[in-house]
Amino acid sequence: MIKSIQAVLLFLFCSSLSAVEIGDSIPSCNRLDLSEYKNKVLLVDFWATWCPPCKQSMPFLNALRNELADKGFEIIAINVDEETEVAQHFLNNYPVDYPVVFDPKGGCPLAYDVKAMPSSYFIDKKGKIRYVHLGFRQQDESEIRARVLELLKGAL
Amino acid sequence: MLWYVFIKRSCLVLFILLSAVLQVGCSVAPWERGNLAKTQMLIVPNPNRTALRRHVFDSKESSQGGMGTAGGGCGCN
Repeated sequence: MIKSIQAVLLFLFCSSLSAVEIGDSIPSCNRLDLSEYKNKVLLVDFWATWCPPCKQSMPFLNALRNELADKGFEIIAINVDEETEVAQHFLNNYPVDYPVVFDPKGGCPLAYDVKAMPSSYFIDKKGKIRYVHLGFRQQDESEIRARVLELLKGAL
Repeated sequence: MLWYVFIKRSCLVLFILLSAVLQVGCSVAPWERGNLAKTQMLIVPNPNRTALRRHVFDSKESSQGGMGTAGGGCGCN
């Protein structure tokens, strides 16, 4: 009896262990191979076409990426639309210069423990998560930019 | 007596397991809200049409002393 209760409690406890913390290494995710981005500051952005703030953030992120690409900054976008064709159609109309990975099954957001849409994970040159930004508003642009610049300088 | 204890314990274990399973099923992950975000999932899927109908309804009912006090049934309020 006691063992059964312990098993249930352990199950519930383990289900909450997947949470990503600041300072953690990049979670493993089948759809995403970040090995070619070593020694780069990365912004892993989770987005979907049904999420208006996600779409609103893309022109800004694209401009930021193009501005800082030669300094070692890259954005990896992970689309979580269940219908990949919809996302592909959107990208055909509104293309971005950074790589986009499609994850309709939701394995990557589960591994990253995404709490909101959009979610941006700032990863330093050593592959550690340094900051997580939830949501997007126009007022957030300066903060996102500052965080990226800090990581490029190695300040964090 | 032993059967009674066995059934009692089984029910307790089943209750705990069901609680755990139901707890998992109640949440929708943020990245799985594509269907919930569709227009047809809104309580008011067509705000303009709803506003027009409410306006007409209010105007007509006002003339009968119904909904609210604004307007006199002419439809111009």
